[in-house]
Amino acid sequence: MKYSSKYILCFVLIVLSINLALSGCLGNNDSSSSQQNGDEKLLHIAQTFGPSHSLDPGYDWVGWYVRQAGIYETLFSYDEDMELVPELATGYQVIDEVTWEVTLRDDVKFHDGTPMDSEAVVYSIERVMDPENKRSSQYRFIEEIYAVDENTVRIVTDEAFAPTIATLTDPIVSIVNPKVDDLAGEPSGTGPFMFSSFNPDTRLEVTKNHEYWGELAKVDRVVIEYVSDPMTRALKVEGRDVDIADSVPASEVSRLNSLGHIDTVNKETMRTAFMYVNTNKEPLDDVRVRQAISYAIDREQVVNAALEGFGGTPAIGMFPSNFMWSFNEGLEPYHHDKEKALQLLKEAGIEDRTGDGTLEYEGEPFTLDIKTYSARPELRPSAEVMAIQLSSIGIESRAITLESGALSADMNNGDYDLALYAWGIAPTGDPDYFLTQHFESGNTYAEWTGYSNPDVDEWLSIARTNPDEDVRMEYYNKVQQQVHEDCPELFVFYYKKTVGLSSGVDGFILYPNEITFLTNRIAV
Amino acid sequence: MLNYVLRRLVFLIPTLLLVSVLSFSIIHFAPGDPAEILMTGPDGIADPVAVEEFRERMGFDRPFYVQYGIWLTQVLSGDLGYSYMTGQPVGEAIVQKFGATFRLALLSMFFALLIAIPGGILAALARDTWKDDISRFISLIGVSVPNFWQSYIMILVFALMLDMFPVGGYGESGELMYMILPALTLGTASAAVLMRLIRSSLLDVLDQDYIRAARARGIPEHIIIAKHGLKNAFIPVITMLGLSFGYLLNGSVVVETVFAWPGIGNLMVSSIYDRDYPMIQGTLLFVATIFVVINLLVDVSYAYLDPRWRYDEDHD
Repeated sequence: MKYSSKYILCFVLIVLSINLALSGCLGNNDSSSSQQNGDEKLLHIAQTFGPSHSLDPGYDWVGWYVRQAGIYETLFSYDEDMELVPELATGYQVIDEVTWEVTLRDDVKFHDGTPMDSEAVVYSIERVMDPENKRSSQYRFIEEIYAVDENTVRIVTDEAFAPTIATLTDPIVSIVNPKVDDLAGEPSGTGPFMFSSFNPDTRLEVTKNHEYWGELAKVDRVVIEYVSDPMTRALKVEGRDVDIADSVPASEVSRLNSLGHIDTVNKETMRTAFMYVNTNKEPLDDVRVRQAISYAIDREQVVNAALEGFGGTPAIGMFPSNFMWSFNEGLEPYHHDKEKALQLLKEAGIEDRTGDGTLEYEGEPFTLDIKTYSARPELRPSAEVMAIQLSSIGIESRAITLESGALSADMNNGDYDLALYAWGIAPTGDPDYFLTQHFESGNTYAEWTGYSNPDVDEWLSIARTNPDEDVRMEYYNKVQQQVHEDCPELFVFYYKKTVGLSSGVDGFILYPNEITFLTNRIAV
Repeated sequence: MLNYVLRRLVFLIPTLLLVSVLSFSIIHFAPGDPAEILMTGPDGIADPVAVEEFRERMGFDRPFYVQYGIWLTQVLSGDLGYSYMTGQPVGEAIVQKFGATFRLALLSMFFALLIAIPGGILAALARDTWKDDISRFISLIGVSVPNFWQSYIMILVFALMLDMFPVGGYGESGELMYMILPALTLGTASAAVLMRLIRSSLLDVLDQDYIRAARARGIPEHIIIAKHGLKNAFIPVITMLGLSFGYLLNGSVVVETVFAWPGIGNLMVSSIYDRDYPMIQGTLLFVATIFVVINLLVDVSYAYLDPRWRYDEDHD
């Protein structure tokens, strides 16, 4: 007994003492998260990902996290209906083709009391334009930015660029306090919440900004935890560990709703799932074949089977219908129609000549593989459902899931038939980026599909350089119509996001672009 | 003894060099363009000009061996570099994440031994009875149940139904409360293997002549088991223990993800997805070092458990 009991005792003591020493204290189990500590109103949130190191909004995509936490604001932003609204600006004016004038609010202070003025705005944008900044190319269209007076800023672009104001909604150009040197460690913004503490990848804590220029926040302190597993987020809101759980799995929505103490908000976001079609590959170079595939897909079934009905809505065009630039009302949807699909394929020389139930093209069985990637869990089941749908009309089809780096290598090499992806279609609320990257000849994604249409190229160029919204709309509608007919990409569904709310949480709004999350309106 | 330890530590250098060459080449020849992956945002890949600029700035356009050489010189001067993704110094990120993993591994090991030692002894003493069968059944379940499933069941039972622990997360600084469920999940899996090993190893020892001799001398059974049996039975167990602990220190991606525990497993996997070379290399070197050191500790512990090792100069 001498040795073993001594060893075990030693081990127990070592384990406990190291753990106690490292954690400081035992910690208490906050089974009720929104407890009132005295009069303090505390709100707990579980989100997916957070910053791992720097808190500087000008670095990489950190701006998303610190804006979602209510610390930073931008000159303009999008409201819950994706309408462009002034935030730290009061408005803008087009001076001439290349000059934009933005007027600023005069009642805004940074968290340390420094007034927010044109100097801060120029500073915040110029530092992103610095070629050392990884994302500077997005702002390379700006020739010059300067202060006219304390509350007026002018932006001069190198050529006419209609999306100029929209680019100012990107959280990377959050207006930062120029007096603070270490923005990575000491965030200082203008938002309704002030930075309090941060633990990389796990936790960000903010407190109410009592000097906020708008309506003051309704809670005093907010703890944001970063929990990457969607199921764990759902369990956390169920167990009242948190008051708000971002993006809970579609499979959990009905169950959470039935619990009684959880409400869910389910809304379309600005993200579309679609398939690239390799038009460089026969017979996919034939538009009839691409249209046939579009008819062969039952989008309703994809949403119901793969996304449990809550994860998305069947797509018509590339843009969700609630997006102001969407032309869905003018497009004739590709309703699921096997007969029409078979008819179109037959016209293109693809039919079942041997009578074995599978279609042949030039004597060989017609096969279509759908490739997708693992990082977005909804894509794999969606690809599988679509592969079955294609098989049911006699096309030999498999769903292949790869790691995203491996898939993009295949895409660059043209080694695919169909590839299911999901991208945000307009983080800055302007349609130019998506349409240009995907459908203008020679751009990254147009290269992937091999799509090139001189009309589309011309329309895109007109719309990009004309500041008149109605003119732009007209040309973007034409592009959407043309792409809808040409089918270089097949749009499958628009993502819907579900947020779980503990009963008692009031005033939460789901913003479709997912850039705004914690606001001054949320109360517990 | 000291000589032996030093010699083993010197062997660490070629091991690490080999690990770094292997990992550097594997990740380099894996499909996927690092510049493109690192420049992909929520709305897709940045424009080709930006990707090209980034590629040049990071030196991805240079030949593989040049990139490796640059990295190696840097590491030899004590600098693990910066993460391409977050800009954080790699060393700092590893220390940060390893702290969390280390504490979790320690507690998991504690739970594992807490279950395995009494369970294994009990099963050995009650060989081929219903108690032994139950212990066999339990360890079979322990090894076969997938971690992620067990994690959710733990959460459902202990966090939701009984409301004893938080669902998951790290709290303010990883308090014990947050650590218990993930540690139990990891611990039971290790316990299952250890328990069987302790049983069979103890049975082997109890069959030896010197145990029979001790019994013949009339020494009470509990002393025979504790003093003569267990100590000798522990030699193979220590090896297993070292291995299990090594694996635990690598961090379990599944358990870390489900319980939102910011450990080194997730850091390693996400850096591979991001093709974050300096981070991949840094974490792999670190993990390899841990393995070598733990194996060394295991070997050294033999010397204390088995006097023959101490007196035999030629054992290594």
